[in-house]
Amino acid sequence: MWYKIVKLGTNIENTWCLGCGNFGILNAFKKAIVELEEKGISQNNILIASGIGCSAKIFDYLNLSGIYSLHGRDLATIEGIKFANPNLKTITFSGDGNAMGEGLTHLLFAAKRNADVTIIMHNNGVYALTTGQYTPITERGWKGPSTPKGSVEEPFNAISLVLEAGATFVARSYTAKIQHLTDMMVQAIEHKGFSFLEVLQPCVSYNNTYKLYNEIVEELDDIPKSIEEAKLYAKNKDKLFIGIFYRTEKPTFCELLYGDHNPVEKRQYREERINKIKKILNIK
Amino acid sequence: MSLIKGGHNFSIVSTSTRWISSHYMKADLIVNFDKRSYDNHIDHLSEGGLMVYNSDIKGNMGGIGISLTSEAKRFPNPNLMLGVGAIAILGATIGVNKTELNALIKNEYSKGVKENISYANIIYDIVYPIIGGKFQLEGGSKKRPNISGNQAIALGAIAGGLDCYYAYPMTPATSILHYLAAIADDFGLAVIHPENEIAVINMAIGSTFTGARSMVGSSGGGFSLMAEGISLAGIIESPVLIVLSMRPGPATGVPTYTEQGDLNFALNVGHGEFLRIVASPGTIEEAFFLTAQMLDLVWKFQTPGILLTEKHLSESSMTVDINLNDTIWAEPLLYKDGEYKRYLDTKDGISPLLFPPSKEILKWNSYEHDEFGFTTEDPQWIKRMHDKRNKKFKSLKNYLMKKKTINIFGDKGPIIITYGSTVMSVLEALKYGNIEARVVQPIFLSPLPIWELEKFKDQEVIVIEQSAIGQFANLLKENMNIQLKKVIKQYDGRPFDPIKLSKKIKDVV
Repeated sequence: MWYKIVKLGTNIENTWCLGCGNFGILNAFKKAIVELEEKGISQNNILIASGIGCSAKIFDYLNLSGIYSLHGRDLATIEGIKFANPNLKTITFSGDGNAMGEGLTHLLFAAKRNADVTIIMHNNGVYALTTGQYTPITERGWKGPSTPKGSVEEPFNAISLVLEAGATFVARSYTAKIQHLTDMMVQAIEHKGFSFLEVLQPCVSYNNTYKLYNEIVEELDDIPKSIEEAKLYAKNKDKLFIGIFYRTEKPTFCELLYGDHNPVEKRQYREERINKIKKILNIK
Repeated sequence: MSLIKGGHNFSIVSTSTRWISSHYMKADLIVNFDKRSYDNHIDHLSEGGLMVYNSDIKGNMGGIGISLTSEAKRFPNPNLMLGVGAIAILGATIGVNKTELNALIKNEYSKGVKENISYANIIYDIVYPIIGGKFQLEGGSKKRPNISGNQAIALGAIAGGLDCYYAYPMTPATSILHYLAAIADDFGLAVIHPENEIAVINMAIGSTFTGARSMVGSSGGGFSLMAEGISLAGIIESPVLIVLSMRPGPATGVPTYTEQGDLNFALNVGHGEFLRIVASPGTIEEAFFLTAQMLDLVWKFQTPGILLTEKHLSESSMTVDINLNDTIWAEPLLYKDGEYKRYLDTKDGISPLLFPPSKEILKWNSYEHDEFGFTTEDPQWIKRMHDKRNKKFKSLKNYLMKKKTINIFGDKGPIIITYGSTVMSVLEALKYGNIEARVVQPIFLSPLPIWELEKFKDQEVIVIEQSAIGQFANLLKENMNIQLKKVIKQYDGRPFDPIKLSKKIKDVV
């Protein structure tokens, strides 16, 4: 196990702040990949993407293939990989600013179409790499460099939004609960369809929430019985619930669009195409 | 205007037994269904031309009155019948017999074939005794397909190896999406219409990572939204092909008309320094082959490419001669063995490709990176990777120097340089005006084939383009010594009319 985990790392210098919640995500993810391998999912088939931000740095720290994409566009990138080759397991790492700000349209649409991809959303509540501005899910009143008088906007609730958009697997975890986080990652990646995992991630430099989270984070006893109930749990602020909020089975985007076809692996070669075009154009 | 069922709409058909490359605004036959059409087009009638009007409509109209509406009332949707009536009238005047007419309707109409044939025959029988064979055309011996520019682009892409097409609807590129979506299953393609053009370009880039030959299409507005993604393709070296079909801008501009106003934008799209391959087809046949060739080039050089065209080519239909065996099949340089480095710094700047699933680590990185694709801020790597990517400018040029990058029509007379579908207008104008000239068409605009154009340096040339500020003329001036005798421009949304254009050319020469 440890050998495999070490092999999943790279020799790139890690530049996260000491004590950053992202270390928890990196460690849990490596464990999840090893667990998935034991369940028969080869690392060769696992593809990652990332947006831009502290969360995205994980791309350099993982010895896995993929695309280090643009800010907010990582979901579109990973969907493009999946749609061309549905046999690949596709996961993207995104910050809350990345996913809910610049990338919100892609997030809602990926959920709407039940694209068979996983998004792990590192929720630290700030744009940390640009020094601590409020994000679309930061509580009202946040005093950051772009909102010195305190932000005046009401925040989105990420879980509630993706549920409304049609996500078929929605969960939340916390970076300080490595085993829980690993388990959530494994289940999210195994899920067939769009899976959204929000990870509560303290930012030691701009939004240190360790103390608060340690007090109010609580595991859900069961999966809520309905979307409505899931939303109530997700919006609760006295306690921050972690666990699976919603899970259902639905056909995925690729299945509905082209069944079990695989555009890359089953591509038609030149001669077959030319003959068909000849027929369409009615020429010899 | 963008119209569905409201407003005034019209179609222009030009036909001849020789190859014609542009429609004419002066018509030998005008068929109209209402007074507005009559008034709009009466000035377009040629000398000796025929005006056929709908005699069921009130108003002062002259010509041959046919009771198009009252004859249509025998059928369930009379208003939808008139169009096939016009086809029957055209058929009768150019000598198409009824069997041929009926076969044509059967081929082209998806619904109401029986009713359309009955109605067309009624109208045919009424008009034939009056104007039958008036503009009799000899039938040819060879059958040729009639396709639009966008169909040619779609089919050319498939022939070249297309696997994934992403697009958000935008005139005049939309019909590529429609056509490909309709035939996607036959060719095993993924044809996807996502949330916006930003998703379009980023999904296409994601697909290229798996080895899928991927293309996107839009017009100026959607292309603007893709700019950041095209820059991403530049640094991660993603082979993505973008079709840009131009319409008059800025912004919404004039959606259903034509222009060549986005040339500079296409040449420079995306922030940062990287190779953008830009080529523009002159004819519908060329659009077919060039799309396949561009797909091959973006894969060979692992950089974004833009197939630049216009509404005039995209949405015009023509009979074409296509020898499918001449199509190029897109093939990249593939990894063979040894330690895999995604961005291996080679002599020509091209790193061998490998696709997932693989035991090797394949990292495509939007940050500046080292050969393995890991992020770097090291000054030596930053410089080296710039140099590595920029080697492809030279490698592409060397490669293209052995290929056809330019068309020259004619061998005597004054030199006319033009590009894109304006080539078709110019050729037709020369034929119409019986003018002897050499028409020079660079097919590639980036890199501009200076090695070919050099033959014409220090000579007087006429440039013809559909741009208000003469972007193409400026591009030529920046790249070579030419003496511009005159730049003939049109930017009213309409393509050049061969008659008017021939007069303008004559005035200059």
